[in-house]
Amino acid sequence: MNLILLLVVVVAAGAVLSVQAAINGRLGQAVGVLRGSLVTFSVGAIVTALMIFFFEPVQAVSLLDVPKWQLTGALFGVVYMMVMVGAVPVVGTAVATVAVIVGQLGMGMLIDNFGWLGNPAIELSSSRIVAMVCLALALVFMYRSNTRTD
Amino acid sequence: MQASSIEGVAQARPKKNVLRVLLLPLVILAGMGLSVEAGLLGPLGVQVGHLWATLSIFGVGSAILYLLLLFSGPQKGPALSELPRWQLIGGFLGPIYVVVLTLATPHIGIAMTMIAILSGQVGKSVLIDHFGWFGSARKRVNGERWIALALIVVALVLIARG
Repeated sequence: MNLILLLVVVVAAGAVLSVQAAINGRLGQAVGVLRGSLVTFSVGAIVTALMIFFFEPVQAVSLLDVPKWQLTGALFGVVYMMVMVGAVPVVGTAVATVAVIVGQLGMGMLIDNFGWLGNPAIELSSSRIVAMVCLALALVFMYRSNTRTD
Repeated sequence: MQASSIEGVAQARPKKNVLRVLLLPLVILAGMGLSVEAGLLGPLGVQVGHLWATLSIFGVGSAILYLLLLFSGPQKGPALSELPRWQLIGGFLGPIYVVVLTLATPHIGIAMTMIAILSGQVGKSVLIDHFGWFGSARKRVNGERWIALALIVVALVLIARG
Protein backbone atom coordinates (compact mmCIF):
# COMPACT_ATOMS: atom_id res chain seq x y z
CA MET A 1 0.00 0.00 0.00
CA ASN A 2 1.09 3.57 -0.64
CA LEU A 3 2.99 4.73 2.43
CA ILE A 4 1.43 8.23 2.59
CA LEU A 5 -2.08 6.78 2.27
CA LEU A 6 -1.28 4.24 4.98
CA LEU A 7 -0.03 7.02 7.24
CA VAL A 8 -3.22 9.03 6.71
CA VAL A 9 -5.25 5.94 7.62
CA VAL A 10 -3.22 5.37 10.81
CA VAL A 11 -3.57 9.01 11.90
CA ALA A 12 -7.32 8.77 11.27
CA ALA A 13 -7.40 5.58 13.38
CA GLY A 14 -5.78 7.58 16.19
CA ALA A 15 -8.58 10.13 15.93
CA VAL A 16 -11.18 7.34 15.98
CA LEU A 17 -9.45 5.81 18.98
CA SER A 18 -9.72 9.01 21.00
CA VAL A 19 -13.44 9.28 20.17
CA GLN A 20 -13.79 5.68 21.34
CA ALA A 21 -11.83 6.42 24.51
CA ALA A 22 -14.14 9.35 25.28
CA ILE A 23 -17.28 7.24 24.77
CA ASN A 24 -15.87 4.35 26.81
CA GLY A 25 -14.85 6.73 29.56
CA ARG A 26 -18.45 7.81 29.99
CA LEU A 27 -19.66 4.22 29.80
CA GLY A 28 -17.12 3.06 32.38
CA GLN A 29 -18.13 5.84 34.80
CA ALA A 30 -21.76 4.77 34.53
CA VAL A 31 -21.57 0.97 34.76
CA GLY A 32 -18.03 0.25 36.04
CA VAL A 33 -14.85 -0.56 34.13
CA LEU A 34 -15.43 -4.31 33.83
CA ARG A 35 -18.93 -4.07 32.41
CA GLY A 36 -17.98 -1.14 30.20
CA SER A 37 -15.00 -2.97 28.73
CA LEU A 38 -16.98 -6.16 28.24
CA VAL A 39 -19.53 -4.21 26.18
CA THR A 40 -16.76 -2.70 24.07
CA PHE A 41 -14.94 -5.99 23.55
CA SER A 42 -18.00 -8.13 22.88
CA VAL A 43 -19.51 -5.62 20.44
CA GLY A 44 -16.09 -5.45 18.80
CA ALA A 45 -15.93 -9.25 18.54
CA ILE A 46 -19.44 -9.46 17.05
CA VAL A 47 -18.78 -6.69 14.50
CA THR A 48 -15.50 -8.32 13.49
CA ALA A 49 -17.14 -11.75 13.19
CA LEU A 50 -19.86 -10.30 10.95
CA MET A 51 -17.24 -8.68 8.74
CA ILE A 52 -15.34 -11.97 8.51
CA PHE A 53 -18.49 -13.84 7.44
CA PHE A 54 -19.19 -11.47 4.59
CA PHE A 55 -15.91 -9.87 3.52
CA GLU A 56 -12.89 -11.92 4.54
CA PRO A 57 -11.25 -13.90 1.72
CA VAL A 58 -10.36 -17.54 2.44
CA GLN A 59 -7.05 -17.82 4.29
CA ALA A 60 -4.60 -20.69 3.99
CA VAL A 61 -3.70 -20.50 7.70
CA SER A 62 -6.27 -20.26 10.52
CA LEU A 63 -5.94 -18.89 14.05
CA LEU A 64 -5.77 -22.47 15.31
CA ASP A 65 -2.67 -23.22 13.21
CA VAL A 66 -0.39 -20.46 14.47
CA PRO A 67 1.80 -20.85 17.59
CA LYS A 68 -0.27 -20.14 20.71
CA TRP A 69 1.91 -17.25 21.89
CA GLN A 70 0.76 -15.29 18.86
CA LEU A 71 -2.76 -15.28 20.30
CA THR A 72 -1.84 -13.65 23.61
CA GLY A 73 -2.21 -10.03 22.42
CA ALA A 74 -5.54 -9.51 24.18
CA LEU A 75 -3.97 -10.37 27.56
CA PHE A 76 -1.73 -7.32 27.32
CA GLY A 77 -4.72 -5.13 26.53
CA VAL A 78 -6.68 -6.40 29.54
CA VAL A 79 -3.68 -6.08 31.89
CA TYR A 80 -3.10 -2.53 30.60
CA MET A 81 -6.70 -1.64 31.34
CA MET A 82 -6.58 -2.98 34.89
CA VAL A 83 -3.24 -1.32 35.68
CA MET A 84 -4.59 2.02 34.46
CA VAL A 85 -7.76 1.69 36.52
CA GLY A 86 -5.68 1.15 39.63
CA ALA A 87 -2.86 3.59 38.89
CA VAL A 88 -4.48 6.69 37.36
CA PRO A 89 -6.20 7.85 40.59
CA VAL A 90 -2.88 7.52 42.45
CA VAL A 91 -0.30 8.91 40.03
CA GLY A 92 -2.58 11.31 38.16
CA THR A 93 -3.66 11.27 34.52
CA ALA A 94 -0.74 13.34 33.22
CA VAL A 95 2.00 11.20 34.75
CA ALA A 96 0.20 7.98 33.80
CA THR A 97 -0.16 9.17 30.19
CA VAL A 98 3.52 10.06 29.91
CA ALA A 99 4.56 6.75 31.51
CA VAL A 100 2.39 4.77 29.09
CA ILE A 101 3.75 6.61 26.06
CA VAL A 102 7.33 6.13 27.26
CA GLY A 103 6.72 2.40 27.65
CA GLN A 104 4.86 2.19 24.36
CA LEU A 105 7.47 3.94 22.23
CA GLY A 106 10.45 2.42 24.06
CA MET A 107 9.14 -1.10 23.59
CA GLY A 108 8.07 -0.28 20.03
CA MET A 109 11.63 0.78 19.21
CA LEU A 110 13.05 -2.38 20.78
CA ILE A 111 10.70 -4.68 18.86
CA ASP A 112 11.39 -2.81 15.61
CA ASN A 113 15.14 -2.71 16.10
CA PHE A 114 15.56 -6.39 16.93
CA GLY A 115 12.65 -7.72 14.89
CA TRP A 116 11.11 -9.44 17.91
CA LEU A 117 7.83 -11.43 17.75
CA GLY A 118 8.30 -12.17 14.05
CA ASN A 119 8.32 -8.52 12.96
CA PRO A 120 10.65 -7.24 10.25
CA ALA A 121 13.72 -5.63 11.85
CA ILE A 122 13.87 -1.87 11.23
CA GLU A 123 17.06 -0.15 12.24
CA LEU A 124 16.77 2.85 14.56
CA SER A 125 17.61 5.65 12.09
CA SER A 126 18.24 9.29 12.97
CA SER A 127 14.97 10.36 11.32
CA ARG A 128 13.05 7.92 13.55
CA ILE A 129 14.72 9.38 16.63
CA VAL A 130 13.93 12.94 15.51
CA ALA A 131 10.30 11.92 14.86
CA MET A 132 10.06 10.66 18.43
CA VAL A 133 11.60 13.83 19.85
CA CYS A 134 9.07 15.89 17.84
CA LEU A 135 6.18 13.89 19.29
CA ALA A 136 7.57 14.25 22.81
CA LEU A 137 7.85 18.04 22.39
CA ALA A 138 4.36 18.19 20.89
CA LEU A 139 2.98 16.43 23.97
CA VAL A 140 4.80 18.88 26.24
CA PHE A 141 3.28 21.86 24.40
CA MET A 142 -0.18 20.25 24.47
CA TYR A 143 0.10 19.66 28.19
CA ARG A 144 1.22 23.23 28.90
CA SER A 145 -1.59 24.58 26.78
CA ASN A 146 -4.15 22.38 28.59
CA THR A 147 -3.03 23.29 32.10
CA ARG A 148 -3.07 27.01 31.32
CA THR A 149 -6.52 27.27 29.71
CA ASP A 150 -8.33 24.83 32.02
CA MET B 1 -6.81 -3.02 22.57
CA GLN B 2 -6.96 0.44 24.12
CA ALA B 3 -4.03 2.71 23.55
CA SER B 4 -3.31 5.60 25.83
CA SER B 5 -5.62 8.53 25.43
CA ILE B 6 -4.13 11.96 25.85
CA GLU B 7 -7.38 13.73 26.43
CA GLY B 8 -8.05 15.50 29.70
CA VAL B 9 -4.41 15.31 30.59
CA ALA B 10 -4.72 17.64 33.58
CA GLN B 11 -7.66 16.00 35.34
CA ALA B 12 -6.86 13.48 38.07
CA ARG B 13 -4.68 14.87 40.84
CA PRO B 14 -1.84 12.76 42.22
CA LYS B 15 -2.02 11.43 45.79
CA LYS B 16 0.42 9.44 47.98
CA ASN B 17 4.10 9.69 47.11
CA VAL B 18 5.48 6.24 47.97
CA LEU B 19 2.69 4.44 46.17
CA ARG B 20 3.24 6.70 43.16
CA VAL B 21 6.88 5.70 42.78
CA LEU B 22 6.01 2.01 43.17
CA LEU B 23 3.22 2.17 40.63
CA LEU B 24 5.13 4.08 37.97
CA PRO B 25 7.22 1.13 36.67
CA LEU B 26 4.00 -0.88 36.51
CA VAL B 27 2.37 1.79 34.32
CA ILE B 28 5.43 1.89 32.04
CA LEU B 29 5.24 -1.92 31.78
CA ALA B 30 1.57 -1.64 30.88
CA GLY B 31 2.51 0.80 28.11
CA MET B 32 5.16 -1.64 26.88
CA GLY B 33 2.41 -4.26 26.78
CA LEU B 34 0.51 -2.15 24.26
CA SER B 35 3.47 -2.28 21.88
CA VAL B 36 3.85 -6.02 22.45
CA GLU B 37 0.17 -6.39 21.56
CA ALA B 38 0.71 -4.40 18.35
CA GLY B 39 3.88 -6.41 17.69
CA LEU B 40 1.95 -9.67 17.94
CA LEU B 41 -0.89 -8.38 15.75
CA GLY B 42 1.14 -7.44 12.64
CA PRO B 43 2.69 -10.84 11.86
CA LEU B 44 -0.52 -12.60 12.95
CA GLY B 45 -2.53 -10.51 10.47
CA VAL B 46 -0.12 -11.34 7.66
CA GLN B 47 -0.56 -15.07 8.37
CA VAL B 48 -4.26 -15.50 9.10
CA GLY B 49 -5.77 -12.27 7.69
CA HIS B 50 -6.31 -8.88 9.34
CA LEU B 51 -9.90 -9.49 10.41
CA TRP B 52 -9.10 -12.86 11.97
CA ALA B 53 -6.22 -11.29 13.90
CA THR B 54 -8.63 -8.59 15.09
CA LEU B 55 -11.15 -11.23 16.14
CA SER B 56 -8.47 -12.94 18.23
CA ILE B 57 -8.05 -9.71 20.23
CA PHE B 58 -11.75 -9.04 20.76
CA GLY B 59 -12.72 -12.69 21.18
CA VAL B 60 -10.07 -13.49 23.80
CA GLY B 61 -10.60 -10.10 25.47
CA SER B 62 -14.36 -10.65 25.71
CA ALA B 63 -13.90 -14.12 27.15
CA ILE B 64 -11.45 -12.94 29.83
CA LEU B 65 -13.59 -9.94 30.78
CA TYR B 66 -16.72 -12.08 30.95
CA LEU B 67 -15.02 -14.48 33.38
CA LEU B 68 -13.63 -11.60 35.47
CA LEU B 69 -17.07 -10.04 35.62
CA LEU B 70 -18.77 -13.31 36.52
CA PHE B 71 -16.43 -13.94 39.45
CA SER B 72 -16.28 -10.37 40.74
CA GLY B 73 -19.81 -10.48 42.09
CA PRO B 74 -22.72 -8.06 41.67
CA GLN B 75 -21.91 -4.79 39.89
CA LYS B 76 -22.95 -1.32 40.93
CA GLY B 77 -24.63 1.15 38.61
CA PRO B 78 -27.55 1.00 36.19
CA ALA B 79 -28.29 -1.90 33.84
CA LEU B 80 -26.80 -1.62 30.35
CA SER B 81 -30.29 -1.44 28.88
CA GLU B 82 -30.95 1.79 30.80
CA LEU B 83 -28.00 3.65 29.29
CA PRO B 84 -28.24 6.10 26.38
CA ARG B 85 -27.63 4.10 23.18
CA TRP B 86 -24.70 6.19 21.97
CA GLN B 87 -22.65 5.10 24.98
CA LEU B 88 -22.66 1.55 23.62
CA ILE B 89 -21.18 2.31 20.18
CA GLY B 90 -17.53 2.34 21.32
CA GLY B 91 -17.35 -1.31 20.30
CA PHE B 92 -17.90 -0.36 16.66
CA LEU B 93 -14.89 1.95 16.69
CA GLY B 94 -12.45 -0.45 18.39
CA PRO B 95 -12.16 -2.89 15.46
CA ILE B 96 -11.25 -0.01 13.10
CA TYR B 97 -8.26 0.78 15.26
CA VAL B 98 -7.12 -2.83 15.62
CA VAL B 99 -7.48 -3.62 11.90
CA VAL B 100 -5.41 -0.54 11.07
CA LEU B 101 -2.74 -1.69 13.56
CA THR B 102 -2.41 -5.07 11.84
CA LEU B 103 -2.27 -3.32 8.44
CA ALA B 104 0.30 -0.70 9.36
CA THR B 105 2.91 -2.32 11.63
CA PRO B 106 4.44 -4.61 8.96
CA HIS B 107 5.05 -1.55 6.75
CA ILE B 108 6.17 1.25 9.06
CA GLY B 109 7.08 -0.64 12.23
CA ILE B 110 5.53 -0.49 15.69
CA ALA B 111 7.16 2.67 17.06
CA MET B 112 6.19 4.73 14.00
CA THR B 113 2.65 3.32 14.03
CA MET B 114 2.31 4.40 17.64
CA ILE B 115 3.59 7.90 16.82
CA ALA B 116 1.06 8.22 13.99
CA ILE B 117 -1.75 7.02 16.30
CA LEU B 118 -0.76 9.54 18.98
CA SER B 119 -0.58 12.27 16.32
CA GLY B 120 -4.14 11.46 15.31
CA GLN B 121 -5.26 11.73 18.94
CA VAL B 122 -3.55 15.07 19.52
CA GLY B 123 -4.62 16.52 16.17
CA LYS B 124 -8.22 15.46 16.64
CA SER B 125 -8.52 16.96 20.10
CA VAL B 126 -7.04 20.28 18.91
CA LEU B 127 -9.49 20.42 15.99
CA ILE B 128 -12.49 19.54 18.17
CA ASP B 129 -11.56 22.26 20.65
CA HIS B 130 -10.84 24.83 17.94
CA PHE B 131 -14.07 24.39 16.01
CA GLY B 132 -16.21 23.34 18.98
CA TRP B 133 -17.36 20.09 17.34
CA PHE B 134 -19.61 17.59 19.18
CA GLY B 135 -20.90 20.36 21.44
CA SER B 136 -17.56 20.97 23.13
CA ALA B 137 -16.67 24.48 24.31
CA ARG B 138 -14.88 26.41 21.56
CA LYS B 139 -11.26 26.95 22.50
CA ARG B 140 -9.18 28.82 19.94
CA VAL B 141 -5.86 27.27 18.94
CA ASN B 142 -3.22 29.24 20.84
CA GLY B 143 0.50 29.54 20.07
CA GLU B 144 1.47 26.43 22.01
CA ARG B 145 -1.06 24.27 20.24
CA TRP B 146 0.08 25.51 16.83
CA ILE B 147 3.63 24.53 17.76
CA ALA B 148 2.39 21.11 18.90
CA LEU B 149 0.55 20.58 15.60
CA ALA B 150 3.57 21.72 13.57
CA LEU B 151 5.83 19.29 15.48
CA ILE B 152 3.40 16.47 14.76
CA VAL B 153 3.41 17.27 11.05
CA VAL B 154 7.22 17.21 11.08
CA ALA B 155 7.16 13.82 12.87
CA LEU B 156 4.75 12.40 10.29
CA VAL B 157 6.83 13.70 7.36
CA LEU B 158 9.90 12.04 8.91
CA ILE B 159 8.02 8.72 9.20
CA ALA B 160 6.77 8.97 5.60
CA ARG B 161 10.31 9.54 4.36
CA GLY B 162 11.50 6.52 6.36
